[in-house]
Amino acid sequence: MSSATDRLNAATSRATDRLSTVTGPVDQLLQPLADVYNRLFGDYFGEMNGLQFVLIFGTAAALLTAPFWGNFGLVRAMTVAAIWAIFAMSWDIQSGYTGYISFGHSVLSGAAGYTTAMLIHNVNPELSMMITIPVSILAALVVGLLVALPSLRLTGPYFSLITFVAVLIFYRLIPSFSQYTGGETGIQSVEVFTYAPVARYYYMVVPMLLIAVVLTLIARSNIGLILMSIRENEAAVNAAGINATKFKIFSFALSSIPMGIGGVLLVHFSGGVDPTTFIVVDRSIEMIAIAVLGGMSSILGPLGGAFFLIVLRDYILTDIANLGSSIRWTVFWALVLLVLVFARDGVFRKLWHGLDRLGGDRR
Amino acid sequence: MIEQLLSILVVGAMISAVYALIAIGFTMIFGVGGVLNLAHGALIMIGAFTYLAATSAAVPPFVGFLLAVAVTAAASYALYAGLVKYIEDNIVITFLATVVVALLLTELVIIQFGSAPSQLLPVISGNIYLEAVGTRIRYVQLLAFVVSWIAIGSLWYYVTKTDEGRSILATSMSTRGAELTGVDLQKVKSRTWLIAGAFAGIAGVFIGTLQSTSPHMWLSPLALAFIIVVIGGIGSIKGSVIAAYLIGYLETASVEFLGPSFQGVLSLVVLVAILLLKPNGLFGRELVHE
Repeated sequence: MSSATDRLNAATSRATDRLSTVTGPVDQLLQPLADVYNRLFGDYFGEMNGLQFVLIFGTAAALLTAPFWGNFGLVRAMTVAAIWAIFAMSWDIQSGYTGYISFGHSVLSGAAGYTTAMLIHNVNPELSMMITIPVSILAALVVGLLVALPSLRLTGPYFSLITFVAVLIFYRLIPSFSQYTGGETGIQSVEVFTYAPVARYYYMVVPMLLIAVVLTLIARSNIGLILMSIRENEAAVNAAGINATKFKIFSFALSSIPMGIGGVLLVHFSGGVDPTTFIVVDRSIEMIAIAVLGGMSSILGPLGGAFFLIVLRDYILTDIANLGSSIRWTVFWALVLLVLVFARDGVFRKLWHGLDRLGGDRR
Repeated sequence: MIEQLLSILVVGAMISAVYALIAIGFTMIFGVGGVLNLAHGALIMIGAFTYLAATSAAVPPFVGFLLAVAVTAAASYALYAGLVKYIEDNIVITFLATVVVALLLTELVIIQFGSAPSQLLPVISGNIYLEAVGTRIRYVQLLAFVVSWIAIGSLWYYVTKTDEGRSILATSMSTRGAELTGVDLQKVKSRTWLIAGAFAGIAGVFIGTLQSTSPHMWLSPLALAFIIVVIGGIGSIKGSVIAAYLIGYLETASVEFLGPSFQGVLSLVVLVAILLLKPNGLFGRELVHE
């Protein structure tokens, strides 16, 4: 196994060397642009070389202009992907950075989604979004703290177990209170933002980009460093006089807010809530799969992972390959499994470091 | 009132016996390898569907039962040798990979059998009315109870009285210590996965008969295994059996007194309470990193 991996690595590095004779000059050419960026923002987001600069800003430009070059199916898939990118990035700032793997993040988005729907359904159908949206995000934060406070006393698999249990409790409570929650069918009377595909796309992508920027900023700051140190050696963090528990709770709270935003976006995208779209364990696993596939503890990796997997599942396998639901999911999970086994650090991290090596001046 | 209590006592014992089977395999794999096998529920599903496929091909139910156990044990071994062995050093990846295997198997079962629930032919049919208790008991329930105790008894004999079994016990106590005394770790782990698979196969047939057989049936046994194992203490077989009966009786009692919609909620509440008061479970120990 390991000798095969070694040979593979040797082969790729030879290929990289050959490729970099071509890409080196390209990188040199773009370097001035990247340098401007590095001088302005490098301290906050990290420096990059010319090729990486093109990847990031090319992708951002492609995301912002998607409705003008993509067809309906692609744009719809990307709209959904934007919501999942928010979920995966939020999961990442908590679980990816601290190493406390949460299986319960669908509870947070579910709390926000259900709060919105229940406010409209049970309190007042005329309630404006100016009220429901902040209240829903606050609900996600409160539920996040409710999950985090008891469970963060535990470590390793025990933490993951109790977050998993949080999903089960939430899921089982829904039918028990079906007069308020709508039971299995949920509540389908929520107003959508808009049905116009282009506007809807921007409703999802703009918050996603903002969240990506904020989370990257935090992840690259000292706070991110502390969270990562908790993953590597929690005892050392405590010994350095930093209260690790405080930061773990902070990271959970920090991740509940974008989870809440994502939940609100999802409820206004689909026009309703139900347990299968919001709560079931599969949803939490999807978030984790996306984040791991893109590259845990990198914020932008999960973003890329979301677009890669959701576009693959909802557009390439659905619209182009025209597969049935079960076969589509089979392919989806099989692919996730392959990446988990063979590219543990994530696809986008590999790509990023590949670009680093392909650059001209890094050696 | 007395009759009601007696009926809870009898019915609870039947279902608890199956719960114990579910939890033992799950806890053994964790105890020996430190792996949380989230595909355990999927193995139970494999057992139920193998039995379904066999009996609908006119195989006698008893042979179908043995076949289901054998296939599930083989599937469990294949899961270890083909996947978990290569990734078990990374807990997160193992978590995810096993749960993805479960989701993958769900989709494959849907493709093969459709997503509607199926009805299993009971291993033995018929029922008996217990007059003193005022409850009707199906023979399958009795069989489940008996088979469960035979399986648990043999396992107990195996791990305490035979050298092969003792090496499993030793590994679960200290991996390094076991290695130093000449235990072949790979063999012990493979054996554990085989045993866990066989237990899951037995549980699969009975869960499938007594509750439901559908592609999504893996989640609630997995959740049960979780709850039981956490309450009993991860890695402890004795703890699992005791916690299985605790949860089994709790569920039966809450259905009897509060109604069916509260079946699971109460045990989850107990679980949270145990986690908060005694995070390592009743008979558990600290997670040791080696």
